[in-house]
Amino acid sequence: MEFSELIRTGQAQAELLRGPEMPPLRGTLCVTGHHLLLSPGPQATPDLWLLLLRSVDSIEKRVAGDAGTITLRCKDLRVLQLDIEGVEATLDIARSIEALSSLESVITSFPFFYRPKGLRLGESWHFHPPERYYKRVARETRAWRLSEANEDFSLCPSYPRAVIVPRTVDDDALARSARFRQGGRFPVLSYYHAPSGTVLLRSSQPLTGPQKRRCAEDEELLQAVLAGARPGARGFIVDTRSAQAAKQARMTGGGTEAKSAYPGWKRLHRPLERGRPLQESFVHLVEACGDLEQSMDRWLSRLDGCHWLSHVKAALSTACLAAQGMEWEGACILVHGAEGTDSTLLVTSLAQLILDPLSRTMAGFQELIEREWIQAGHPFQLRCAHSAFSHTRPKHEAPIFLLFLDCVWQLGRQFPLSLEFGEGMLLALFDHSYASPFGTFLCNSEKERCLCEVRTRTHSLWSGLNQPKEQRKLRNPLYAPNPLAIWPSVEPQSLRLWQGLFLRWTHPPEPSEVAWEKVWQIATDQEKTEGSQPTDSASEPQP
Amino acid sequence: MSLLRGLLGMELIGISVRLFLDFQEKPASLDSALILDVPLGVISRIEKMGGATSRGENSYGLDITCKDMRNLRFALKQEGHSRRDMFEILTRYAFPLAHSLPIFAFLNEEKFDVDGWMVYNPVEEYRRQGLPNHHWRITFINKCYELCDTYPALLVVPYRASDDDLRRVATFRSRNRIPVLSWIHPENKTVIVRCSQPLVGMSGKRNKDDEKYLDVIRETNRQINKLTIYDARPNVNAVANKATGGGYESDDAYHNAELFFLDIHNIHVMRESLKKVKDIVYPNVEESHWLSSLESTHWLEHIKLVLTGAIQVADRVSSGKSSVVVHCSDGWDRTAQLTSLAMLMLDSYYRSIEGFEILVQKEWISFGHKFASRIGHGDKNHADADRSPIFLQFIDCVWQMSKQFPTAFEFNERFLIVILDHLYSCRFGTFLYNCESAREKQKVTERTVSLWSLINSNKDKFKNPFYTKEINRVLYPVASMRHLELWVNYYIRWNPRIKQQQPNPVEQRYMELLALRDEYIKRLEELQLANSPKLSDPSTSPSSPSQMVPHVQTHF
Repeated sequence: MEFSELIRTGQAQAELLRGPEMPPLRGTLCVTGHHLLLSPGPQATPDLWLLLLRSVDSIEKRVAGDAGTITLRCKDLRVLQLDIEGVEATLDIARSIEALSSLESVITSFPFFYRPKGLRLGESWHFHPPERYYKRVARETRAWRLSEANEDFSLCPSYPRAVIVPRTVDDDALARSARFRQGGRFPVLSYYHAPSGTVLLRSSQPLTGPQKRRCAEDEELLQAVLAGARPGARGFIVDTRSAQAAKQARMTGGGTEAKSAYPGWKRLHRPLERGRPLQESFVHLVEACGDLEQSMDRWLSRLDGCHWLSHVKAALSTACLAAQGMEWEGACILVHGAEGTDSTLLVTSLAQLILDPLSRTMAGFQELIEREWIQAGHPFQLRCAHSAFSHTRPKHEAPIFLLFLDCVWQLGRQFPLSLEFGEGMLLALFDHSYASPFGTFLCNSEKERCLCEVRTRTHSLWSGLNQPKEQRKLRNPLYAPNPLAIWPSVEPQSLRLWQGLFLRWTHPPEPSEVAWEKVWQIATDQEKTEGSQPTDSASEPQP
Repeated sequence: MSLLRGLLGMELIGISVRLFLDFQEKPASLDSALILDVPLGVISRIEKMGGATSRGENSYGLDITCKDMRNLRFALKQEGHSRRDMFEILTRYAFPLAHSLPIFAFLNEEKFDVDGWMVYNPVEEYRRQGLPNHHWRITFINKCYELCDTYPALLVVPYRASDDDLRRVATFRSRNRIPVLSWIHPENKTVIVRCSQPLVGMSGKRNKDDEKYLDVIRETNRQINKLTIYDARPNVNAVANKATGGGYESDDAYHNAELFFLDIHNIHVMRESLKKVKDIVYPNVEESHWLSSLESTHWLEHIKLVLTGAIQVADRVSSGKSSVVVHCSDGWDRTAQLTSLAMLMLDSYYRSIEGFEILVQKEWISFGHKFASRIGHGDKNHADADRSPIFLQFIDCVWQMSKQFPTAFEFNERFLIVILDHLYSCRFGTFLYNCESAREKQKVTERTVSLWSLINSNKDKFKNPFYTKEINRVLYPVASMRHLELWVNYYIRWNPRIKQQQPNPVEQRYMELLALRDEYIKRLEELQLANSPKLSDPSTSPSSPSQMVPHVQTHF
């Protein structure tokens, strides 16, 4: 396919409005295969303004007289307005953007063409394989092994090639357990909690069906988990659906673990919202945040009505429950919902952030996202196809990863020194998960990424983010390693709207950015003094 | 409310009542007897609940309502009449005024290294502002509080207004609170002037002297052709005040002035609003529909209006558009809020610890905010309609600003909380009485200790590690509901479920931050020492860290 077929017009004169505090830009507008470009005239600033077409969520056009206006709502929640000279040009540009921003093919997407200076292909992709995490586990315990039973993705298409499983369970048993779990997602190790010697596992729902089928290998697998932990260890199965919903799932072939079949394991139901209701909550919230006309004294009840913060609360409390089970009760925890690719990952990754100081470092957090979201098979392509502005009916979209980032932001707000990364990192992850020049968030699973050769043909986001010039935006200057678990408060008054994300474009740049810069200066003051020139303070007379 | 069971003991220690609870069954979360130190001053109401014949668990005992958003309830056993003694002792010492006893501050013999009463010297503060100058003079006309008994002795007025003019203007202003200067812009020389409402009345009275006086104020700055008057009240309230002899400046009478109403409600509305806040946070936080419940208290909306008003005042003055006169009815509640907040936005000096103390001392204490009436120090009449959380609301606004500008204030959250705690505690003389004349009569500065003595002798505890001193920066907070927050660490600090988190995460965070700051300072010093040959002499280095702290801080 040639992009040129979709580009209706070469260029047009346009003015770009980028929000209340930003000056408008005038220049020549141009649509390319992946970008919208605005090159200002010679008198203006030489900067070229560039927008990745993939990040356009919805487009609205209006024509009046011999000019037109295009409103672009982006996946990062920005709203841009383009005033274009000429009706034809406006309509052509709008049609081109529409067509190019909704291309479904992965291998023609921008990451396959993006070749930034200073980065080499293939770099950083080797950073976070499961093997690496297994080495960490193996240093602590002999109860687990790395299995390559899924080498060809035949057991489970959404798992990576290698997974960590109980040492006493062989690959044949895994295959049988996989057949008993939806999508083949048999229980695998998500996190080993060394202080209490307990583990966090994840899976999908068992396929008990209306006949309440059982699977001996699946039962043995969970028995082996308890046996490997410590004598008399108990287990909790945290089901992210309500008891009712779990029961109903039997009618469609799913279900949940029967008590009698899994001795030692106790089931707990903690319903978490997912899918369409979560997407709607997101849409309502973004609507409320963008609605500057609405009477301000109704703001709080409108915020309440979006329920977003109750989803944050539910996610954090369920993660706390799982973490407490490990830390305080010395229990093993298995988390699953239905498919085990959404709310399950939300809970397991948050529980690790609460318990594991390593996951709160910059490198550890990247590893966590790579391991617990990307390689664990969260379907990013489906979930992040559209953000909050799309007019099309949501099919598979759900902001579950955004909900995770919001929960992490809440953790960071409550424990301002304990995370090595700052809000900038979370914002970057949000932006890149919806539209990115990097390949990291492409596709829905490791299998698909292999088919598309993502690892060899695109750059990894991590290599982009780990460049020294990006660090100041992403790191928390106040970070001080905290070896303890961080238990967040989930009381309603402790949870806040993430203004840095939801109000990022609707109000003038926060003074907090200025403040952040100052804090950085404080943190890096010693670097300045390393130079031989006397600094301001050093030249002051001594008291 | 959390339920704890045990033997209650009580001991009066100085200005606090210390309540002991010896447990019969010790709760797992506590390892020793519970000791509650409740400053007696904080008690607003003591009630007996249940009678000798009450049945049922916890139906007989004492209920203590506090002024700082908490209630304590002690269920007692009926035997032994211990309740009567306890009730009487508590009542006697919590409400000394009703028992002809002195307020505790007069009995307090604490000693501090620093004398907080020396912090505020009006002459020095006006000199700092560049006063007197060609247009403004300092007058001692109120030296014996004859012109206005609720104003300070020292006032700054237009150079061209004679003392006789002032006396005539006083007759036309409620409680003689004439327009006087609060703050002058160092460059454009526009001013913030405060006063009370004009006594216009139903008949629409006018007063030539008052009109002329405001025009003289306008003329202190040549570039201005209109003086801006901000009436803090809602329009309707200002009109209604005419019925009781008050009112506002009409267009007809004051040609060269424009009047704006700022829609801030009166002390009664604020009191009721805070009561609703207490209802949703204590003893339990309203879990479902928290944000909607918060909205229905209107507390944040009032905060928004006060901040919005102050921003307008600050903007007028900072832009040099015009000088500003601020008043409400009597000019000691909303007016104090507006002038002090505007000054905080305009003048970075007030954002330092001492500067803020001076601001409070000047705009609130010396200009007669009726602390005694609004707080009810030592007074048992808990339902007094004069009580209102106006000063608390001001501190809340300051907190909101400090949240939005995390590096602009030298002080931290604890500083604000300690000020509020001692607003009620009666341990210090700082907030006692309604005005300067009363304080002078009672010799408060001689007979009591100042709150600033406590704070200034422990300054490190109250410092914001990220303070960056900036001269000339005007702070405009965003006064939109989207950016205002409930001050959880103050209003919800007594909630047992929050308190049980150990160690208190807020405290821990502060300690972490301060420790971090110290570490930065140390690192910086080490590098400076390494760089600077004259300091590399090992004999000077042990003493240098403490010496270098002050200048490193200014470097921040």
